[in-house]
Amino acid sequence: MKPSERIQVSDGSVIDPGFTQKVIQLTGEEVMTCFQCLKCTNGCPLAPEMDVPPNKAIRYVQLGMRDAALAADSIWICATCYTCSVRCPNDIDIAHVMDTLRRLAYQSQGDDTPKAHIVHFHELFLDSLKQYGRVNETKLLARYELKEGRFLKDAKLGMKMFFMGKMSIFPEKVQNKEQIKKIFDRASKRKG
Amino acid sequence: MAIQIGYFPGCSLHSSAKEYNDSIKASFGDLGIELKEIPDWNCCGATAAHSLNEALALALPARNLAMAEQEGLSLFAPCSACYHRFLLTNRKLCASEELLLEVNELIAPLDYKGSTEVKNILDILVEDVGVKKIKESVKRPLKGLRLVSYYGCLLTRVPHGQASDDQENPVYMDMVVEALGAEPVPWPSKMDCCGASLNITEEAIVCRLSSHILDNAQAVTAGAVVTSCTLCQMNLDLMQSGTKPEYNHPANLPVFYISELLALALGHDFPQGHWKKHFVDPRGVLEKLGLT
Ligand code: SF4
Ligand code: SF4
Repeated sequence: MKPSERIQVSDGSVIDPGFTQKVIQLTGEEVMTCFQCLKCTNGCPLAPEMDVPPNKAIRYVQLGMRDAALAADSIWICATCYTCSVRCPNDIDIAHVMDTLRRLAYQSQGDDTPKAHIVHFHELFLDSLKQYGRVNETKLLARYELKEGRFLKDAKLGMKMFFMGKMSIFPEKVQNKEQIKKIFDRASKRKG
Repeated sequence: MAIQIGYFPGCSLHSSAKEYNDSIKASFGDLGIELKEIPDWNCCGATAAHSLNEALALALPARNLAMAEQEGLSLFAPCSACYHRFLLTNRKLCASEELLLEVNELIAPLDYKGSTEVKNILDILVEDVGVKKIKESVKRPLKGLRLVSYYGCLLTRVPHGQASDDQENPVYMDMVVEALGAEPVPWPSKMDCCGASLNITEEAIVCRLSSHILDNAQAVTAGAVVTSCTLCQMNLDLMQSGTKPEYNHPANLPVFYISELLALALGHDFPQGHWKKHFVDPRGVLEKLGLT
């Protein structure tokens, strides 16, 4: 089999060795050295909530199981805590691999995931950053709650934080907004 | 002579973590540290940038690193999450000329050469200032305060290489706590994950993780928690706030920033409004120890 050949297996999913190569190239991580010791997953604080825990995500990458890897909810709930990365006996920066899977998923399917609300939160965050160069937490939270249709659910908390002096309504801005905008424009022209 | 350090407060220190910013500014001068704010700093991009767009995740920190370099400054980021973004970006850019070139194209006309040193608050307190000097500067020892040091994830978990402190069993914060005259209490959750920014999107996960950490702080009969990360402070404090039915952990433990305790021990008093920025008001604990 040529390395670029895709094969379809009995459950309809596609095995694509090109995907393995792509992840290796994007991350620089030696994912093929993983021997499924499970140290990453045993220490992962989010493992109980994950459909595809980190050891399995690495396995999917090794096997070229692109669709299974990119459809995983777990790539979105991974907290990027780096517990797995510092413990892997083969020194694979697994958090970086999870992060890369997240970006690949975003590039190919946008917010088409059951964890769409997390995608939306990140998008709104970057929106705010693009506009001001800094992020105004108050505005970001309000926009997120509106978008997800849960406005007022956290109103009590928001008001409390406002009166505690923990929230400001006036967004801080960088002076050189033009430069931030340029960085965003140039970065969006590149792939991920 | 004062040590000059480039200061990157980051977005949260100007809003939800103002008390961190205020206490750093109140205390660092006493230790011979002169903070020079990085001019016109921008947000590091946080989880959002590295989740959606790698070019942004590198370019946004790089703009700040380049501006610090122009001023001949290091870059001190108090928030652990910002710190980690800067540290990783810096390492990547220093390891590959090709990548540095690409990122410089994104931030042009700025041109980063790779010489900025990235620091967290414990690097400064333990390595630049030194616990001996801290100890000598203490005017009001925090005697009788049993503290659990909560490092969280991002202060020392650096992939492919050593962080300044130990990656699995860090001790720098305990060393500072001891120098301030308080009692560092050993406990099993010093590096457990609080759930970080998932507090907005996946509340239940953060409740599970943060409650477990508070359970362990209670189990060792700590008097308070001390941390250096804005997300850690927020999550542990919020879990005890009673602002929602889920946020009802009974520990009632104040969650301090290390710089707040530092400022207190150095003899500074905060204005009335300061402690109101905590959900669990620390004044009860401080009064009992004669510290307010
Ligand atoms: S810790 Fe490393 S080697 Fe072990 S299963 Fe996880 S990725 Fe594979
Ligand atoms: S970085 Fe993600 S996958 Fe790794 S241990 Fe943390 S939550 Fe789990």
